[in-house]
Amino acid sequence: MTQREIFFVANEVNELGGVGRWQHQMARLLSERGHRVRIIGISPPEVPMDLGAHPPYETLTLYDRRPPGRRKPRLGLGRFDPAVRRQEASRRAVAERLSRAFRAARPGAVIIVTQVWAMEWVALADTAGHLVIGMSHESFGATRHSSRFARVRRYYQDVDRLLVLTQEDADRWAVEGLTHVSFLPNPLPLTPDAPSPRTEKAVASIGRLDHAKGVDLLLDTWAEAAPRQPGWLLRIYGTGEHEAALRRQCTDLGLDDSVEWAGRTDDVVGALRRSSVFVQSSRGEGFPLVLLEAMACGVPCVAFDCSPGVREIVRNGEDGLLARHGNVSELADHLGRLMADENLRDTMGERARQNVRRFAPEVITRRWEELFAFLER
Amino acid sequence: MSIVTPESAGTEPDISVVVIVYNDDRRLPVAVRSVLDQSLRNVEVIVVDDCSTDGSYDTARALAAAHPRRVRAIRLPENSGGCGEPRNHGMAAARGRYVMFLDSDDTLERHACRNLLEAAERTGADLVSGRCVRVHTDSRHVKRIPWYPWLYRTTTTVESVADLPDLFVFDTLSTNKCYRRSFLVDHGLTFPRGIHYEDLLFSAEAYLAAARITLIPHTVYFWNVAEKTTAKSISNRRHEINNFTDRLEIHRRIDAVLDRRGLGELKLCKDIKFLKHDLVLYLRDLPFLDNDYRHRFAALARGYVQDFPQEAYDSLDAVHAICAYLLMREDWDHLMPAIDTLINRKKISAPLAERDGRIYWCDRHLDDPAAREVMDVTRLGYHGKPLERMFLRNLLTRYAVRGGTVLLAGAVVNPLHTVPADADLTAELELRARRRSLRSYRFPVRTVRHEGDALTWQAAVPLARAFRPVGVLDEVWDIRLHLTADGQRTTSRITAGSVDLENAPALPVRPRLTRLVADRLAPQVSAKGHLAFRLTQHSPAAQRGRALVDRNLHGPAARAAKRTYRGLRAVRRDLTSGTRKVQVYHRMLRLLPVRKGTVVFESHLGKQYSDSPRALYEELRRRQTPVTAIWSYAGARPTGFPADAELVRRWSWRYLRALAQAEFWIDNQGFPLKLAKRPETTYLQTWHGSALKKMGFDQPAHRVMSEHAQLAYQQALDRFDHFLVRGEHDVRTLARAYRIPEHKLLRLGYPRNDALVRAARNPRTPDPALRSLAERLGIHPDRRVLLYAPTFRSRPDGRARDFAFPFDIEAFAERFADQYTLLVRSHYLNRVTLPPSVTGRVIDVTGEPDITPLLLLSDALITDYSSVMFDYALLRRPMVFYAHDWEEYSRDTRGTYFDLPAEAPGPVAHTEDELFAALGDLRALSTRYEARLKEFVNRYGEYDRGDAAARIVDRFFAPTRQAP
Repeated sequence: MTQREIFFVANEVNELGGVGRWQHQMARLLSERGHRVRIIGISPPEVPMDLGAHPPYETLTLYDRRPPGRRKPRLGLGRFDPAVRRQEASRRAVAERLSRAFRAARPGAVIIVTQVWAMEWVALADTAGHLVIGMSHESFGATRHSSRFARVRRYYQDVDRLLVLTQEDADRWAVEGLTHVSFLPNPLPLTPDAPSPRTEKAVASIGRLDHAKGVDLLLDTWAEAAPRQPGWLLRIYGTGEHEAALRRQCTDLGLDDSVEWAGRTDDVVGALRRSSVFVQSSRGEGFPLVLLEAMACGVPCVAFDCSPGVREIVRNGEDGLLARHGNVSELADHLGRLMADENLRDTMGERARQNVRRFAPEVITRRWEELFAFLER
Repeated sequence: MSIVTPESAGTEPDISVVVIVYNDDRRLPVAVRSVLDQSLRNVEVIVVDDCSTDGSYDTARALAAAHPRRVRAIRLPENSGGCGEPRNHGMAAARGRYVMFLDSDDTLERHACRNLLEAAERTGADLVSGRCVRVHTDSRHVKRIPWYPWLYRTTTTVESVADLPDLFVFDTLSTNKCYRRSFLVDHGLTFPRGIHYEDLLFSAEAYLAAARITLIPHTVYFWNVAEKTTAKSISNRRHEINNFTDRLEIHRRIDAVLDRRGLGELKLCKDIKFLKHDLVLYLRDLPFLDNDYRHRFAALARGYVQDFPQEAYDSLDAVHAICAYLLMREDWDHLMPAIDTLINRKKISAPLAERDGRIYWCDRHLDDPAAREVMDVTRLGYHGKPLERMFLRNLLTRYAVRGGTVLLAGAVVNPLHTVPADADLTAELELRARRRSLRSYRFPVRTVRHEGDALTWQAAVPLARAFRPVGVLDEVWDIRLHLTADGQRTTSRITAGSVDLENAPALPVRPRLTRLVADRLAPQVSAKGHLAFRLTQHSPAAQRGRALVDRNLHGPAARAAKRTYRGLRAVRRDLTSGTRKVQVYHRMLRLLPVRKGTVVFESHLGKQYSDSPRALYEELRRRQTPVTAIWSYAGARPTGFPADAELVRRWSWRYLRALAQAEFWIDNQGFPLKLAKRPETTYLQTWHGSALKKMGFDQPAHRVMSEHAQLAYQQALDRFDHFLVRGEHDVRTLARAYRIPEHKLLRLGYPRNDALVRAARNPRTPDPALRSLAERLGIHPDRRVLLYAPTFRSRPDGRARDFAFPFDIEAFAERFADQYTLLVRSHYLNRVTLPPSVTGRVIDVTGEPDITPLLLLSDALITDYSSVMFDYALLRRPMVFYAHDWEEYSRDTRGTYFDLPAEAPGPVAHTEDELFAALGDLRALSTRYEARLKEFVNRYGEYDRGDAAARIVDRFFAPTRQAP
């Protein structure tokens, strides 16, 4: 196997969140395979994530403070606007630090650009002799409705490969005319020793308490599902800006007896092992790690079919149940089905544990290495 | 960002690309370059020259010399005359694990090989196919049109092509694909020799042999097309007919393969495709060819398609089926108009014939029952159209030039004698430039005559004298005939047909930019078969002048001029754009004062003068309350709006200004969501019906909107100051779904329903307005009136599905002819077509602006899930619910607030028989459901008491408020 130099260039080295966790895990997996890995962040994180005492890779952050967004030229001046030129020049100077790092690497290094904002600097840097792989860690639909759509098209147009999360997302980008697009799923973030015994009559939800995670929809769902299955408890893990409003909603719906606000947890496996069903009611997701974790723990998932990533992870009717996006009654029906049927929980939970192995770290790492080799052909 | 590595030293390339060339040394290097520049580097090129007579082979050898390890050149000993043989030689010479084909005038997309190889290795497919894009190199903006894009939307893998018949019948190209070489060798797949359409057979055999096929949505192949969009010459057309023999031969060979493999289903798909597409390619040319060619073609076609199974014909739409039938019969007189409709789908081309309440394409062939079915065009709804909305075939019968004048004559078809013999007829011809006209030119038509099935016309057009084009940018001029019959105008294009325009002389013409840019005007035929004119250059001076113009049109000065023009156009677009209007509106809100006493009314987004806003307006007028009333209307012209109100078009500047300064906004659906409301303005939201289906924030689509979008929507809803409800059901559903706080609710009922409540209280009071409405609609005074008002169904993509009667309307008319007149009112998103056989018994009232008089007029209502049920219940007249698809409807993505079949205050029918049975005795229905109806009204509309308009006007517009 070829030992390579691998750079991750991301918005931040260690921002707390799904992308940060993915990056840390991938960097660790690849260094365990003998590659020399470095993570370069453009800006310092807002909420840092603990990388442990000795991460097996080097890190570097280019700016001390978050740099401002790209200036729009004033009317009529176009690219001759002096303010734009000044900003361009200062960005080039920073990009030169990237160039120096890339030039120092042996030819054939791989530069993985985790997010498109970071690509604005990589595009200015000298990457000659190396492979550049751009990534988008959200669903096509989410990008489509944001400013990132135009930026992905612009800044990623010359990379060697653009990677998205699923085949379905890649297809949609290809139809948009991005012919260098392909896909690679995220690896399973953890491998628990033992699955959940699925004995406790508890449904778990794990996620920030904000609009995107749709816990308000979950409470409405629970209001329909709980009365049909007395004795079950909904345990909601997480904190966030909407917590007060959600607790009020819970009380108004008369659900205080069957909902437990469990707060933020660092022990995801422990939380999952205390539950028999996992529920996700998000308004949008990319490739949700928490579904992978729940399945790895043998907990069958019920979720809104909100993105290709969710469909890719959960095989509807086989190892979990998906409801049409936003259809609260359908989500409640699915929850009811699983809560009412211990056999179904067991078969789906066991199948989930098996099926999710296709995202095992060693499988995904091998796919990355095959990709590096393929791009050199 | 490319890796500099030594060129692949491996013995085996991943892909061999076979590039075939014949006399094309100019473009060959471009094609080869597109392979050498592939992001996948381990690719070899094999150029196969079909014994060109130009320097193609030398060019190929030069390329091979420049890239010794990547390019090889082969030359056939003698010209093969096709693409098959060179490709076979290329295949034989290939060393790669995969093989692709490329023509010397096309190119590969930069990542084509990488994407095809990745898919092939991932799925193990024998054949991987990618999206092909046709590049129109001679169009102004180099138009790019994907080839069968619906096949290439998602990555798809099938184990047999029988699972994807569309791929088999449509994508017959061999070039946008990557084949495993061992697969080609093992199955002995080669191209046939000495015959056209070799791709068709090769692709068919490859598809059928492949154990796995993968499609990818990535563009892989650019097919450069350099055909002018104008019509082909006669010799071109004859040539294509000659090729038809080859096409049939290829099809027969494919059929033999299908037969051997026992793939009858696939054969059927191919037959259908042949009738719908292959045949049509040739039919388009028939009007221009003489009888001898037509006959030869018909004989050939008949020999092939007459054995097709009936199923193939059954799946054709009406026009295709008519064409196929008439071609078999060689009924040229009726086929030519049918071909015109085939090319121009909205056109009515034949005089048509009515027999026993059905409409037929022509009056012949009707004795044969099977043919009769084919000729039946009732469903197309031709007969229901007014003359103004008919696009009629207008066949050119004469084209002659006398000096500077063109003599034209033609015949406009008169379907079903829509234009009566005694009609007052006038006509004029209009010339308009295709791209951009500074002005159009109109010429009177000398004579127009009624000749039964046709309206013939003759004109002498003094083009040389009166026609002054600019000369640049307006080279092509289309001609139309405007025909007026008794004040109704219809516009038609002139079909060239078999009049010989190719040899017709050109006219002298004097462009405004002088004769140095063009000096002749020549007739030509458009792609749709219509007469047009083109400016041409005859004298050497004009030709030189034109060449100069062409050069300068691409020079720096012209570019600067174009930039300026585009800039100005962008500024204009920006000034009238929605965002700019919204900005200016909000400035108006700040700067302009409120005009006391002004009320802006709008109903259903301006589509109608109707509903509660209308009822409130009429109440204000009845009391002569001094208000300035402004009605908003949508569309080009307001129809049916009151004369004593100011009318403003929705989204016009006057509309925005009226809204910005109004004291009251009254509407039943919502003023544009982006327009804020000032606090001094009172917004009275009357709403337009109680809800069965989930609404507002109860709809899943709204629930999952982003926080930002939800906030914007909530702000638009917060503009309402008062929200009318008909009952507590509305409070539980609508008010909750739109998050309307308690203090904004007006529990007064709907003004539009006052008339219904009053009619229920005094059932015997005659209403002269209703009687005149009944007369206008042509309702038989002795029959009772049923109103059928279904709601629309949505498709998975959210749009409304086309309306079709869920019961046999002719059977209905037959059965209840003596009892009822049926009024049909579909949802405004739908349109209804009635067969003439039900005329007088079934009447389409979808076009009536206001539904309330129709409710009053009818003795019973048939509906499915429309909210009209809540209003009609107030009349206490019988209702029948035709809930044939309740399961599907209630389970669709939105969901419902209650279980209709359980609560319905009338019989719920699920089948046509049940429906007809329920309608048998209305009187019995009345008595049986009296109590249920009362309960239904109490539960869903208890605040509708007949005085809503009066109480609202009292509250908001009473004189004590001191109107200005």
